This record gives sequence, structure tokens and C-alpha cells, in this order.
Amino acid sequence: MAAPMELSCWGGGWGLPSVHPESLTVMAYAKFSGAPLTVNAINNCWRAPKGEVPILISEDTVISQPAKILNFLRKQKYNADYELSAKQGADTLAYIALLEEKLLPALLHTFWVEAENYCSVTKPWFASRIPFPLSLYLPGKMSREALNRILLTRGGPPLYSLTEVEAQIYRDAKECLNLLSKRLGTSQFFFGNRPSTLDAFVFGFLAPLYKVCFPRVQLQEHLKQLPNLCRFCDDILSCYFRLAVSDPALIISLQMDDNLRKSPQHPPRKLTTLKLAAGGEESSPLNRLSP
Amino acid sequence: MALAAEAFMTQLAAAEPWPENAALYQQLKDEQILLSDNASSLAVQAFLQMCNLPVRVVCRANAEYMSPSGKVPFIHVGNQVVSELGPIVQFVKAKGHSLSDGLDEVQKAEMKAYMELVNNMLLTAELYLQWCDDVTVEEITHLRYGSPYPWPLNRILSYQKQWEIRRKMKAIGWAGKSLEQVLEDVDQCCQALSQRLGTQPYFFNKQPTELDALVFGHLFTILTTQLTSDELSEKVKNYSNLIAFCRRIEQQYFEGHDKDSSSSATSRSAKRSLLR
Repeated sequence: MAAPMELSCWGGGWGLPSVHPESLTVMAYAKFSGAPLTVNAINNCWRAPKGEVPILISEDTVISQPAKILNFLRKQKYNADYELSAKQGADTLAYIALLEEKLLPALLHTFWVEAENYCSVTKPWFASRIPFPLSLYLPGKMSREALNRILLTRGGPPLYSLTEVEAQIYRDAKECLNLLSKRLGTSQFFFGNRPSTLDAFVFGFLAPLYKVCFPRVQLQEHLKQLPNLCRFCDDILSCYFRLAVSDPALIISLQMDDNLRKSPQHPPRKLTTLKLAAGGEESSPLNRLSP
Repeated sequence: MALAAEAFMTQLAAAEPWPENAALYQQLKDEQILLSDNASSLAVQAFLQMCNLPVRVVCRANAEYMSPSGKVPFIHVGNQVVSELGPIVQFVKAKGHSLSDGLDEVQKAEMKAYMELVNNMLLTAELYLQWCDDVTVEEITHLRYGSPYPWPLNRILSYQKQWEIRRKMKAIGWAGKSLEQVLEDVDQCCQALSQRLGTQPYFFNKQPTELDALVFGHLFTILTTQLTSDELSEKVKNYSNLIAFCRRIEQQYFEGHDKDSSSSATSRSAKRSLLR
């Protein structure tokens, strides 16, 4: 079969497997298509992130952008778009372009440019996962790149100040969210009952916006007013991203439970056992964490 | 604040009907205009033709600088100046003409998505080819872009624009792409458009919309412009329904319109040369 594949990407928080939109897109696609990926979250060790993240390493091949990674997975026969018609495949490309043009600038702004968000949430989170001394430099660089991208793509005349550009990109992002909501309607995924590439991209872009707790949240407020998109994110999180046994945080908390149990000071209490399933492939929504 | 300004502009627009002397400004057609600008201009012309709104095309060397957003084409209607297809569509809508009123919400979302696809892939690929591919830059772009101006201004303007476009390409991640990859992207985009169009006459129902105008503008220009190599137009030619689509729109909306000489090469094989 296929060689073992390793994905190096930013880790998770706030209930998400990853906080970085592109990493999340790739992880979601891997779950949808059943690709066995070992996910290595970048944490505070000396293997610093160089260049682009996420990166897929399979034997000797190193692939870096989400579109290329998804292409590689499809070539390895992990294809989540198998049942789509030609027109639906075309729609996928079109909607991904819409996301990148209209939603991505506002997403980048919320994470990296908005001063309060950046200083209180984004920078500490990323800096804690990058080894010193890169942690002093890399988040600032990512922030400058985000601002650069926003200004170069959207900042031309007649918008002459950053506030005008911000107003415009947030307006576009809200319109994009409305369009996505109309397109999704009441169905579970964008194309029928099985998730596809478009679902992975939409989830990757929306979930961080939805879950991460920012001080300045105008786009998140708007998203929360679109219940079908929120339901979409929650469904994917609960069906495809249940906690796996290899989650180190969970193992630590289990060990602590053991220690507490053995301690004489604590009376023996009803132990809450978590029924965990090993790494989620196509799983039915019935298998959930039971208390 | 900007919302109030927009609402004010819309009200101004709605106040008067479309005048007879509306003008569309672009760069000089035979010596100066480049592939991407020509495509955008043709898209706007097609859109206005589809709405049955008369406009005359005026070629000026400094059209780019006159434009309020720095991009061509722009239209001068009454005492208002609007540039680029998106704002022009909204402006025309404020005046009471619209091509996409008959679409439902989901179709409107699709239309906007496909327009972004064309802008994201086709337009960016055209810009890449013109400004980042060294052969094309040397042989075509530098000669054409500043041609109305004397030396050294023509070279300075050309290099300045090239630097600006290359910065943008770097920011969106296209700087690292090779020409083959860009052509691959064009192929993917054309395949998506071809699959969406299918056997229908237009993208939505039997009536054209702004998406049809935009796609026509880009594809027709790619097909009829001679560059250093034929690779770009070959990618489009692989899809026969797209060629038929372009020809259909050309025949319906541009034949007999004597001011528009871009349609003078009606047959597919006759290429308009952009080389000096």
C-alpha cells in the first residue's frame, strides 16, 4: 500500500485539532478520504517550522501547499471527490476561489493584523509552540506577511487607508459567509451526504473563526448568526475529529486520574471512564464519547 | 462611513437614465494595451452590450492613471466615473438594468464564485505571463506598455509596473510557480468552466449574465492574441464548447458593431498580433 505519511502542522486548541486554516483543511480532507496520516503538531522542540506549514512527508517526497498535498493524496487513491459529478467538481474550484478571494483576507486580518487579537491570542499561542529564539521573530514575520498580502491584493485606490481596507474586507467576508450559508442550505455537506474537498476547505477556513476566542470578534458574531454553517462545523468536529487515544493531553489527564484514585485522601469515587475509539476513519455519528 | 458614501453614490446613479454619450476608456488598442487589460475591457464592453446600453470606446495612453482605482477599463457616465467590472455591474444595477435578477440565491452565489474563479486563476495567470515570464516581458510587455511615452520614461514605467506585479505575485504565492504550473492552472480553470457550461448556450439559463461577459472577455482575448508561444491559447482550444460559446457571443453582440474592431477577426484562425 502507500508509504506511511506524516503531516507536520500547527497544533490545536479551543476544541479544534488545529488552529491554522490550511493545516485544518488538510487534516479534514485526510479524515474524509480515509488517508492514514500521522499528524505531528509543531511544538516547542528544536525542529522549528521552516518555510511553509503544513508539510506532508511521505518517504522522500516533501509537499508543501494544501492544494498540492490534496493532489498527492488523490494520486495515492485517497479521493474524497469520487462521487462528485463533473459540474460539482467545477463548483468546488469556484467556491474555493471565492473563499480565497473574499474570506481569507478577513481571516488573516482577524488572526494576525487586528492588534488586540494578535497581541492577546495569536502571538502567545504561536510563540509558545516555536522554540526560542525563533519565537521572538516568526510570529512577527507571519503578521507582516499577512498585512502585506492584504494590502497588496485589496489595498489599492480608491481605498487609501488601512481602516477603509479593513471595512471593505470585512464586508466582503460577511457577504461570502452569507453566500456559503445560502449554498449549504439545510443539507449536511455541500454535495450530498458525503464530505468532499470543498467541505474540507470550508471547514478549514470557518472552524478557526468559529471556535477561537478572540477579543475582537465581529466576523465571529456574523458567523454565529448563520446557524447552518455553525452546525456544519460542529458536525464535522464531532464526527471526524473525536479525541484519539494518542492525544497526549488526554493520556496525561488519564494518568492524573489514576494518581488521584490511588491517593488515600480521596475517597473512592465513581471513575468516569471515557470510551475512546482508535483514530477516526469513516465513523458513524452514533459512536460518541460517552461519560 | 464608506457604506454611507456608497449609498449616496447609488442614489446619484439611480437619479439619471443612461446617457447617449457614455464612454469607456482603455489604453491604446494597437500599440499599448496588454492581454489582461484587454480582457477586462472586453468583458465590460460585452456586459454593456448585453444590457443594451450604448457606450463608445475611447483609447487614451494614460487611461490607467485616469481611472479611480488605477485599473482599466473605466466608464464615464454623466458625471460619474466607475472602474472595473464589479463596481460597473453595481452601478448599472442602480440605474435599473441587471442581467442577474432572474437568478435565485443559490445561483447568484454560484455566479459570484465562478467570477472569483476567473479572477483568481485566469486573470492572475495572464498577469503572470505578461509580467513574470521573462521571454514575454522582454519581447512584448516592455515594448508595449510604455510605448506612447519617450525614453527613458517608457522603460521606467514598465519596470515600475513589473516590480509592483511581482510583489503581488510573491504575496499570493504565485512567484514560485513555473510557467508549466501556471498553464496547468489555466487548464484546470478552463476545464471547470467547460464542465459548468456543458451544452447550454450561456452559464445560467438561456440568458447571459455578467459571468458570461467576464468569461467571454478573457477567453476571446486569449484566443485572439498572439504571444511568443501558443501554449496559452492551446489550453483554451482544448475545450470546444468554450470556443463555440465565444463565437456565439461575438456573433450576437459584436457583429455589426463597427466601433469594436476587436471582433473584426471573426474567424478563429485569424489572430490579432500584439507584436509591434
